[in-house]
Amino acid sequence: MNSKTSDTVDLPASKGRVLLAALLAFILAAVVLSVFILPAEFNRDPLGVGEALGITGLSQPAAESAETVRKEEGAFLRDSVSFQLLPFEFVEYKYELSKGAGMLYRWSVAKSRSGEASAVSFDFHGESHEVEDYEESYSEGEGDHEGGTFIAPFEGIHGWFWANHGAEAVTVTLSTTGYYTESLEFRDGFVKKQALK
Amino acid sequence: MIKHGAHSGLMKRLLNPSSPSLYIAAVLMLIPVFAAAHNISGANARFVEGLDGPAVIPYMYLGAKHMVTGYDHLLYLVGVVFFLRRLKDVILYVSLFTLGHSMTLMGGVLLQWNVNAYLIDTIIGLSVAYKAFENINGFQRIFGFQLNARVAVLIFGLFHGLGLATKLQDLSLSADSLVINMLSFNVGVEIGQALALVCIVAILGLWRRRNSFQKQAFAANTVLMSLGFMLAAYQFSAYLWA
Repeated sequence: MNSKTSDTVDLPASKGRVLLAALLAFILAAVVLSVFILPAEFNRDPLGVGEALGITGLSQPAAESAETVRKEEGAFLRDSVSFQLLPFEFVEYKYELSKGAGMLYRWSVAKSRSGEASAVSFDFHGESHEVEDYEESYSEGEGDHEGGTFIAPFEGIHGWFWANHGAEAVTVTLSTTGYYTESLEFRDGFVKKQALK
Repeated sequence: MIKHGAHSGLMKRLLNPSSPSLYIAAVLMLIPVFAAAHNISGANARFVEGLDGPAVIPYMYLGAKHMVTGYDHLLYLVGVVFFLRRLKDVILYVSLFTLGHSMTLMGGVLLQWNVNAYLIDTIIGLSVAYKAFENINGFQRIFGFQLNARVAVLIFGLFHGLGLATKLQDLSLSADSLVINMLSFNVGVEIGQALALVCIVAILGLWRRRNSFQKQAFAANTVLMSLGFMLAAYQFSAYLWA
């Protein structure tokens, strides 16, 4: 190791030339920044040149894309319900959703007496209004909770069937928010329709 | 060794920095890349986030890809090896850089340092300008003092590593295989760096043999300095407005 500060070639440049180079580098960067980068990347156009070049707003997200944005007229609704299920009881709870309408959901099971949640059988499915007797299952199995995002694949009623196959009473609590219009509860042979607001 | 031959004519034309259009083209070519590069891209990120447990090859690939496509790291490496004629020096400087960035890459991820990626990338941009300014002896000519170049490359290595750490932390690594995935990413970074360096050193070697190198080297480092300022300004703007 030697003591010199640099292992590089010593360029024969005067102080003035180095200063000029630094100044030029800085000015070039400032020009590219204000003419190209700021208008195109940050939608800021300090000199108005970006507008003239047509690059202002180049990297703004596309206003709307058919795949990711679906506009709705009304307000979205929230709904939260709980069902107590004794052993071998079952219930079905569904929402009226048009094709493409979205919903966020989460349900979980609590034991009626304190203790760990036990699993229930569930079937998240939809019944079509468009095609008679058409049903589709989205998610089914045993579990004590599930949550997610749902986009209705067809116009109809979409929701859950829960059955308690355990030996103890449980409470299933469902919370949703989305662009649905009404809910339907199927229990003990009765249908309870409720317009949601 | 690379021989003079059919390629050198093309090389001559490509590397003729006396024509200003070369710089303008280079600068313009960079602009559309600014938006896309640097962060680990959406699809890649979703892929590794979907993985559970150790994923040596995917993380290694991402590390290498980040380095090979990360023009901020590449520009800095160009600056570092620009005047290094001896392989021994190349290895010394690159080892110091690797030591620096590996320490903060691993430290940053393991200790969950929460640094702002844009600010770190601003410093990385400034490191390019610093190195270019150092290359034209700016510190000695203007300030009469220069930090030891080996110390500087180690210090800037630390900042580059912090930048790498922020990219890796963005991927929300699962805790169970954090260490193995992080090490894989780090190894990938070094592989990518080695690949890039082979090209950079080879091209600089060809260029250095020409008589006009000395004159063009000054201009090239001025352009490099400007690119460093641009990178820093771009990242700082993103810090302010993105």
